[in-house]
Amino acid sequence: MARDPNDQSYARPIRSLLVTVVVLALLALVLVWRIDNPRVERMRAAIIDRVVPNLEWALAPVTGMARMIDDFQSYTRLYEQNEELRRELQQMRAWREAALQLEQENARLLDLNRVRLDPELTFVTGIVMADAGSPFRRSVLINVGARDGILDGWATMDGLGVVGRISGVGDQTSRVLLLTDANSRIPVTIQPSGQQALLMGDNTQAPMLDFIEAPEDISAGDRIVTSGDDGLFPPGLLVGQVVETTDRMLRARLAADMARLNFLRVMRSHPGTTLADPGALIGPPWPPPEGFVQGSGQRRPGVAPITRPEQGGDLSQGGVLR
Amino acid sequence: MSAPRSARHLWGYRALFLALCAGVMISKMLPLSLGATGLPGPDLLLALTLAWLLRQPALVPLGSILVVFLLADFLFQRPPGLWTLLVVLASESLRRRRLTMTEFTFFLEWSAFTGAVFALILLERLVLWLLMVDPAPLGLSLAHAIVTAAIYPIVVAVSKFLFGLRKIGAAQAEA
Repeated sequence: MARDPNDQSYARPIRSLLVTVVVLALLALVLVWRIDNPRVERMRAAIIDRVVPNLEWALAPVTGMARMIDDFQSYTRLYEQNEELRRELQQMRAWREAALQLEQENARLLDLNRVRLDPELTFVTGIVMADAGSPFRRSVLINVGARDGILDGWATMDGLGVVGRISGVGDQTSRVLLLTDANSRIPVTIQPSGQQALLMGDNTQAPMLDFIEAPEDISAGDRIVTSGDDGLFPPGLLVGQVVETTDRMLRARLAADMARLNFLRVMRSHPGTTLADPGALIGPPWPPPEGFVQGSGQRRPGVAPITRPEQGGDLSQGGVLR
Repeated sequence: MSAPRSARHLWGYRALFLALCAGVMISKMLPLSLGATGLPGPDLLLALTLAWLLRQPALVPLGSILVVFLLADFLFQRPPGLWTLLVVLASESLRRRRLTMTEFTFFLEWSAFTGAVFALILLERLVLWLLMVDPAPLGLSLAHAIVTAAIYPIVVAVSKFLFGLRKIGAAQAEA
């Protein structure tokens, strides 16, 4: 402003020159940004780094003040806020209920995941689709079937204990005959006494324990596990606890929550391997008989010719040990 | 507003302009509307600059525009220099056009501003397209332009009644 503002004769060309330089410089800046982006972005970061913390003194109080004003404004509508909170509380109650149910389901699912099993034992988990629909049949339909390799007779558990066994397999569904069904009979072992028994469903919530050798050894609270004697159920699956009814009868309180069956696990049990082979001699391969002519008459009296078995198994199949 | 009185007046208003721009930028950086979506806010910086430029060109020298918009470009994660470049071009064009116009009604002023805003946004998109940078969605940009154009009378009113910024005629702008 030192120059006389009225003298425009040379100020204007200078000004337009200045504008041109500025424009070119800015254009160059844009191009450099486009070409060497990381460098310019670092520059930008440096500038922000320089500027923004200096504004902290302005930013922080203004932000805080704005929030305080916001909060203060909320005082002026206490009544509406109260109503709103009531409504929200109502909604939250519903959500709390849902959360509790989800928590229970989650615990159950976690349990399903964590049960230690025989590694040979794998399982297919299905969801209960329907129950039997008859007061005299205790069974449920699950959504896994022959498509998933389910076979008749396999044990079915929920997260904790045995629920029943597969009886009837469709392509995509299968029916689980529950332990409480009147047709259900499974062999069990009662721990810790090790007594064998038969768990017989009788259409009540607590199946009967029958065919116990020494009922006096059994007390209420003993654990009941499957014995595996039927060759279908894997041994050692938890069934429940012994309870003694008022008429001195032993019944089982099932570990599975029969009232709320949701996720069921079908245990793939492999048919038990039976010992059909009595075993054989195990040894190194025999040396070839040298100078021994088979079938000749030069046989020392009293000595039977030793035939060289090809394999150990031949010994038993050859009838030597039979 | 004669020339002798204006020296202090001039620098005072220039400082006020810079302060206002700083205030606008700070308010934009406040973390208060993090969740806000929908209509983009108006470009207050542009409205303020061009309003002051159209009413009293001497209050908004090239240097102020350069400083304010370059800083804004860097702070607001825009391509550095591009928006500044366009604003400088627009301001020079408006400055020159301002000199030739004898009658300068508010309506004319507003339409000049609106035209400048739309031209700026379209030019920016064009340059970004040439540089192969992905521009913002067209709808949002246009909404931004419309909101900015709509805010202009408010900015003018505030400038006029709060800061006493009078509109000067072409003859005075010459000086």
